Amino acid sequence: MRHFLALLSLSYLGAAFCVWWLSGYVPWFLLPDFPFLAIVFAGLFVPGISGFLCVLPPAVFREITASAPSWSMFLGSLALYFATREVGRRLFLRTEPHLLSVVVSLLLAESLSIVLLLHLAGVRPFTLLWGAQEAVRIAWTSLVGVPLFLDLASRWRRVQE
Amino acid sequence: MGSFFRKWWRLLAAVALLFAAIQVYVRPSPALERAEPVRAAGTALFRPFYLAVDFLHQGVSGIWTHYIALVGVTRENERLRREVAALQEKLHENRDAQLENRRLKELLRYSESLERRTVGARVVGHAISPWFQAIFVGTGSEAGVMAGMSVVTPHGAVGRVHQARAGLSEILLVTDGRFAADVMVERSRVRAIAEGIGGNFCRLKYVSPVHDVAVGDRIVFSGFDGSMPKGVLLGTVVSVDRPKESLFQKVKVQCAVNFQDVEDVLVVLSRPSIPFREGRE
Repeated sequence: MRHFLALLSLSYLGAAFCVWWLSGYVPWFLLPDFPFLAIVFAGLFVPGISGFLCVLPPAVFREITASAPSWSMFLGSLALYFATREVGRRLFLRTEPHLLSVVVSLLLAESLSIVLLLHLAGVRPFTLLWGAQEAVRIAWTSLVGVPLFLDLASRWRRVQE
Repeated sequence: MGSFFRKWWRLLAAVALLFAAIQVYVRPSPALERAEPVRAAGTALFRPFYLAVDFLHQGVSGIWTHYIALVGVTRENERLRREVAALQEKLHENRDAQLENRRLKELLRYSESLERRTVGARVVGHAISPWFQAIFVGTGSEAGVMAGMSVVTPHGAVGRVHQARAGLSEILLVTDGRFAADVMVERSRVRAIAEGIGGNFCRLKYVSPVHDVAVGDRIVFSGFDGSMPKGVLLGTVVSVDRPKESLFQKVKVQCAVNFQDVEDVLVVLSRPSIPFREGRE
């Protein structure tokens, strides 16, 4: 329940503040993707069915706040969760560099797959400048994500102890 | 076989969901329409926040102007500064009201010139996504807004309604890669298809090298495809490239509207003559 509430508030407040900041304050590439981080955290640190339940609100928030075709972002987010679970079970080591590489790889994989999908659908709005901005977004989200994950994980461990 | 599935079921689930997401993207399923109320309820969660944006903005600037900016000055200066600040605030408020008044008058005049029924809407938020470009307006289905309706300002086109819900509508911007509409060059009447390419730009497709398009030409919607009102300005041509090996010219258009700054828009309340499926591109 604690995890559920923590990730629910992280993703809701994160998404809501991003919506606010984006309204003329901060460019999109400087806004960390908080719902994405909540999904990855649930995949890496929250075991079992509770992890899956924790993922549902951030996945819905991503579906609402990204203007993608209906339900594609939600299903994509669930796919991201299961991929993260697999990474967490087989590859993940609890050190900062590994955590950073996992978050960067997942962000990169998601971004590339959407770009590829849009490209195959005939949509080509992506320029070199967009690529650079997306790289900044990925780097920034990962840098925010790692300390956040470590902090949340250690707090959770303390609560359990 | 069983042990293989037990071992790798998460990865298989991820792959299956990814395929489902791609399938939904490429060919939306009518079965998912039943789940739309869930999506609508989810949107309602964010609606208060979208609507609170202006309120919070005004509140924060008010705290800054009235308290923080005055800390650390002498009493005399404080009194004078307060007076000046109050006068400036009043002036600023008046100027804001005047500007808003001018903007609304301009919208009203433009709305009359459109000769179609329109409804004014205030921009309350921007979609968070590096891949898709959209804004949210605080007017929805209760005002007759429906998916596919065009959204304009006196300065030019903004986009099309992507989804309309109670009190909130999502507008797909003309710069989104999924936006396409029939346009023409105002000067030479050359027709083309405009497609969003992100940033504040669109490109014109299928412009033959023999056609007359030059930098600085104004591009307007032709209205032939029924998706946008005829004569509405899309933007100005900023570059024309005629590659020798290509069948078509590469024409880049800068949109007339700056989507980061737009505050009020008009939704043209007439259904597009081409059927538009809500929430799908």
